[in-house]
Amino acid sequence: MRSRPERLELIWAERPGLLGWLTTVDHKRIGLLYFFTTLVFFAAGGIEALLIRTQLAGPNGKVLSPEAFDQVMTMHGVTMIFLFVIPMTTGAFGNYLLPLMLGARDMAFPRLNALSYWLFLGSGVFLYAGLLMGKGPNCGWFCYTPLNTKEYDPGLNADFYALGLIFNGLSTTAGALNFIVTIFKLRAPGMSFNRMPLFVFAMLAVSLSLVFALPPLTIDLAFLELQRQAGFHFFDVAGGGDPLLWQHLFWLFGHPEVYIIILPAMGIATSIIPTFAKRKMIAFPLVALAELLVAFIGFGVWAHHMFTTGLPVGALIFFAAASMMVVIPSTIQIYAWLFTVNLGRPEFRAPLLFIGGFIALFVIGGLSGIMFAAIPFDQATTDTYFVVAHFHFIIFGAAVFPILGGMYYWFPKVTGRMYHERWAQVSFWVTFVGTMLTFFPMHIVGLLGMTRRVYTYHSGFGWDAYNFVETVGAFILAAGLLIIFANLLWSRFRGAPSGPDPFYGGTLEWATSSPPPSYNFAVIPTVSSPYPNWDRAEAGVALDHGHETAATTVRDGRLDEVLKMPAESGWPIVLAFAVTILFIMLLTAHVVVAGIFAGIAGLVLVAWHVHEPAEG
Amino acid sequence: MTSVPYTERSAKPNGWWGMAVFVATEATLFGTLIGSYYDLRFRTPHWPPPGVPDPKVAVPLVLLAVLVAASVPVQLASVFARAGRVGATQLALLTALVLQSGYLAMQIHLFVDDLNRFSPQDTAYGSIYFTLVGVHHAHVLVGLLLEGWLVLRLFRGITEYRTVGVRATAFYWLAVNVLAIAVTIVQLSPSL
Repeated sequence: MRSRPERLELIWAERPGLLGWLTTVDHKRIGLLYFFTTLVFFAAGGIEALLIRTQLAGPNGKVLSPEAFDQVMTMHGVTMIFLFVIPMTTGAFGNYLLPLMLGARDMAFPRLNALSYWLFLGSGVFLYAGLLMGKGPNCGWFCYTPLNTKEYDPGLNADFYALGLIFNGLSTTAGALNFIVTIFKLRAPGMSFNRMPLFVFAMLAVSLSLVFALPPLTIDLAFLELQRQAGFHFFDVAGGGDPLLWQHLFWLFGHPEVYIIILPAMGIATSIIPTFAKRKMIAFPLVALAELLVAFIGFGVWAHHMFTTGLPVGALIFFAAASMMVVIPSTIQIYAWLFTVNLGRPEFRAPLLFIGGFIALFVIGGLSGIMFAAIPFDQATTDTYFVVAHFHFIIFGAAVFPILGGMYYWFPKVTGRMYHERWAQVSFWVTFVGTMLTFFPMHIVGLLGMTRRVYTYHSGFGWDAYNFVETVGAFILAAGLLIIFANLLWSRFRGAPSGPDPFYGGTLEWATSSPPPSYNFAVIPTVSSPYPNWDRAEAGVALDHGHETAATTVRDGRLDEVLKMPAESGWPIVLAFAVTILFIMLLTAHVVVAGIFAGIAGLVLVAWHVHEPAEG
Repeated sequence: MTSVPYTERSAKPNGWWGMAVFVATEATLFGTLIGSYYDLRFRTPHWPPPGVPDPKVAVPLVLLAVLVAASVPVQLASVFARAGRVGATQLALLTALVLQSGYLAMQIHLFVDDLNRFSPQDTAYGSIYFTLVGVHHAHVLVGLLLEGWLVLRLFRGITEYRTVGVRATAFYWLAVNVLAIAVTIVQLSPSL
């Protein structure tokens, strides 16, 4: 008779080798695939950022031609948002951690999860193929009309943008759907809604936002493609269209997007702080509600990106007031983080340092954000570097710092080894100083009148010294990031063994070994608080006779059903490949061939569903 | 510890929830299209623009009634599937399939007829009209494919997986019907 872990390993182990990675449906392996892929895109986006900063280091820079600058600048934004932050937080962190925190053995739809990854990869390759062909998106990440019309942007550039982002949205929507159902249904027995970890609340808020925010973007981009390739009229006044429609739909997605970027960071902060402060989060229900509220209010503020477009004053005031409201849930969280640290016994190791940096940068970026809610101030500073400073404090400072802290925090869980603490602390300070040097002077040059997206500038405006400091800061920042990745790479092979729970964390991912086995938990735990790892161990559910996990009721988390989970499958990657070809054919306007590949995609879906998990 | 104290499932199955989230995102898609329709509509005093006929009311409304009526057999299929009645499920799905296919064929006929009278390339009215209606027809087509697929799979007997499939499809058709009502009202609004 084999022991339970041996039995489970036999049931859950996937094929070894490359084929195993191509057909995997294991959320941990998919998470790692996401992680490494997004790191490659992060490096690409980082190189683009350094190119931009080198070009702008002094007046009359000649590193990039204006055309190249437009593409590099656009791809920097598109990459960091769509190919780095979202897939890193949802795809990598969410995928890897969510089932572990919930006490499940996989996501609710494992094969759909694999499909999300392969579609994401396809969309990233699609967008970068454009850049490598010299036809990359070149109209800024929000690609305003009429700049994005055939008349002013005749190449394939804007087509790569529109189709690439629709494609990317498919992947993100599938992922968000999977997260929502996983959170609703696969929580460990006993984990009622009020006992969900705050990270899970954040991921729920993000996923709900994505489900409702992406359709406006998809429609907007589809309108654009129909206008560019089929001669429809949506945005051109001559044909009865409305240029502002583009902006409305874009920001109806674009502002929730900001919170989609920031919420996982808040979730990571609420995971790291209790562990290192050695106490539960203060005001747990308020923080959970604040996370959901941020996502909700995010849908009512989009027109604050449009204060200079001539909207009626009444509309401006509504959106200004709604924007002010975001301060409330944000501040609830900031005070909850600070008081939790203050009332605990904080140990300032690298992950907590990064969260400290995050709070500082978030407050700076939040304060400049409130300024924009004041309509006259916004109208004076719109499209200047002051805006660039603001959103980089939010997107780099507030969203990426917790990602970096989270990489250190969960590194022992993923690899079974400790990172190098001293160098991790050094990397924090280098990154923090680099961030401040890069982005803080942008406030000042913005107020001095430097507009965003300029490919160069003349001397004599008083901008030169600030721009030079920003460029130096960017390289310091890059050095800080390199130290982080060198540390993690070194530790992967040389780090001390960490054991299952080196930080004594409160949530369930720390209750299993490091790295977790293919089946996550030998016994699916039962839960009686949001920090089950700090409670006395309770009996659980074994489910060691099949490829199974437990499903529970949506609200109360009562054990409800034993789910037969699908095993590895090659169909997701085949489907993603067919969809990639479909988008390439749409790009080159081969509608018939595109239709054929849509048909092939349909056939693949049929093949996929012929093998039903319960038939095992 | 190994034996699971578990009786019948009381919560909705995962497949149903997956469909519910999918329907939510689809509904947002249609909401955005309808919002765009009115954004464009209120920019111009002439809607439809001169030279474009007002939409005809009677035939689309009759077709809408057929589509909504077809959701009765779809919902029945869901009930039959849960009771394990394979043949009844297939029959109900097939009935719905015939009605809805007739609906779609008629709608495509009207669509082509409209294309002969005005073009999406002429004005914003044509652009949003054909996009909105076309997306709705695609939505119906997906529902037909789902039903056809389930009918074929049910020849190999009923499983829990297929039962959930029928339930999810039935939910999808509820959403299609609600959206069909919304889209038809918008489509006909210049004549109402």
